[in-house]
Amino acid sequence: MTTRAATTSTLFSWKRLLPPLLVSAVVVGVIVVVIVAGHHDIIESFSAFGRGSFGSAYAFWSATLVRATPLTLLGLAVALAFRSGVMNIGAEGQFLAGASAATAVVLTGVGGGMVLVIALPAAVLAGALWAAIAGWLKREFGVLEVISSLMLNFVAQYLVSYLVRGPLQEPTHVYPQTETFGPAAQLPLLISGQRLHLGYAIAVLLALILWWMFRATAVGFRLRAVGAGAAAAASAGQVMVPRVLFTAFLLSGAIAGLAGGVEVTGVTYALYEGISPGFGYTAIAVALLARLNPLAIIGTGIFFGALEAGAAAMQRDAGVPFQFVAVVEALVVLGVIALDWTRERGATRR
Amino acid sequence: MLINAVVLLGTACGGANGGAKDVKPVSTGSAIKVALLTPGPITDQSWNGGAYTGLLRIKDSLGASVSHIQTKTPAEFEENFRQYGAQGYTIVIGHGFEFQDAAKRVGPEFPKTVYITTGGNSVGPNIAALSFAFEEPSYLAGMVAAAVSKTGTVGCIGGTELPPVKSSFAAFAAGALAVNPKIKVVTAFIGNWDDASAGKEQALAQIGRGADVIFQNADAAGLGVFQAAKEGKGVWVVGSNADQNNIAPAVTLGSVLIDVPHAFMVMAREVQGGKFQPRVVRLDTKSDVVRWVPNPATPNAIPAAMRARVDSVQRLMQSGVFVMPPAAAAATPSTGAAK
Repeated sequence: MTTRAATTSTLFSWKRLLPPLLVSAVVVGVIVVVIVAGHHDIIESFSAFGRGSFGSAYAFWSATLVRATPLTLLGLAVALAFRSGVMNIGAEGQFLAGASAATAVVLTGVGGGMVLVIALPAAVLAGALWAAIAGWLKREFGVLEVISSLMLNFVAQYLVSYLVRGPLQEPTHVYPQTETFGPAAQLPLLISGQRLHLGYAIAVLLALILWWMFRATAVGFRLRAVGAGAAAAASAGQVMVPRVLFTAFLLSGAIAGLAGGVEVTGVTYALYEGISPGFGYTAIAVALLARLNPLAIIGTGIFFGALEAGAAAMQRDAGVPFQFVAVVEALVVLGVIALDWTRERGATRR
Repeated sequence: MLINAVVLLGTACGGANGGAKDVKPVSTGSAIKVALLTPGPITDQSWNGGAYTGLLRIKDSLGASVSHIQTKTPAEFEENFRQYGAQGYTIVIGHGFEFQDAAKRVGPEFPKTVYITTGGNSVGPNIAALSFAFEEPSYLAGMVAAAVSKTGTVGCIGGTELPPVKSSFAAFAAGALAVNPKIKVVTAFIGNWDDASAGKEQALAQIGRGADVIFQNADAAGLGVFQAAKEGKGVWVVGSNADQNNIAPAVTLGSVLIDVPHAFMVMAREVQGGKFQPRVVRLDTKSDVVRWVPNPATPNAIPAAMRARVDSVQRLMQSGVFVMPPAAAAATPSTGAAK
């Protein structure tokens, strides 16, 4: 309702443009203060940021978009859940479950040259199963999914630690990691000479599918209706709310699992303990910044990918510590929340 | 093709200085560019801090321009190895065995850059690995711990269960058992390398189980172990990786030191002088890169007789005739890996 009030006002009115401009200015201002306070050269820092994110074809295709791939997929997983009213904070764990399952399939050697056709669906399935645990706890016992899905992230993390030291460990049994995958288990690269892999195309395609699903299908409508108001959906729309919530959980987990499968077969070619730097948490910011719109997630995924790639270059070339990017990401989320607040105030005043 | 040929050649010559001069890393003779990737924060006063000190020493002594980045994931290791290669860095150091896959994958793409991993056993025309005999001083620390312990229980606390940490703890236990066959050694892993409060909890738990000497190897998380010892009574800590005797001088027995700056300088000089040879570089007590450093602030903590005994074993290690007991040797990776 609030969004409708906002969109009906004229497109280029000051009232509409001022809040986002102010928020952006504050965010940029704080970034400048952080860099200056750390005694780093501001011009050198920003030019390094530009070089590392969009400055060259290599930076864009091989750094920014490669980093954007898991963020986009996980952002879609989070957005699907959030729009349906499921607070799935467990994308991180579902990602790890998917990565582990894909790895396990690859290492068994099934499928020969077509191993990816089995490994990626296995990742999807594992992600959905991992999400199903929290979904089932919610449906049967009313356990808050925020808590259960978050806790399952740690379980998944330790499960990976166990796997790379136990059943999936590399043949010499020295290093906590798996063997490197053969070429058949590596996703094809999209552009020669660049690191960008098929996973990104999958992410974009999935964004389009989800956008269409929410707009034009009955499933999408039910998910949205439950997200907008579960009680109303149940009484007026005769929607089986628990079932829809469970479905949303499964779908969200499936996408997150796919992201894990894509990361091991597209980038790392092996399973390691520290495979995710917290993609599943950053993805919440990716989804929120896109206001849970699947198409916009393509954009915010690139934005966060660029942010991390640029921050790496800032650290390499200007010595700005990597914690900086965490500060910026937090600021962006705070900015989005501030914007929502100004919009809602604007709407209620009218 | 050429790279493949060189790899074959390198294998054939056992890594000797074969006639592959054209793609061998070229020494500039003058200004070199050196990059360091650490898996954790350089403020840990341990593994990562020591490496950063090494980087700065290369900068000061050799006039190199240097760059450092803290990286978390294998994807980031690879991305940054590529970026440094593309920027024409002379030496790129990945500080940990976990960087070896990235070195293997990226090395062939940038033949003019030398990739060095501290730990691991990946070797290629422009790839070398440093391997520290961290077990040797760990053994000495175990001897000291057993002599100092009044409760007959000593503890080991590690970050995560990595091969070099495990083998170091095994050597520590072997050293302790050599002095007191009845000593009890308890071992715990924190689960990460940066949570100092979790490190403190593990230490308090071990103190609760009677441990009064704790050997910690947990980088930033290990700082919590010192904190716990400061709050406890009659509890000693043994530091690791860097000289940690200054972190909590009153409760520290000494440090099991890796002289990373020394190791880095050796490698940087070699590359700068055009004498780089691909190999696993074994750095031990003999080469004076690893050693047991007693804390000068607590000279009376270690009985004089034990000091003398430790010195004599250290001399055996220096002359290369010391043989690690089988139990500790078995836990040592056959590849000679040390973090």
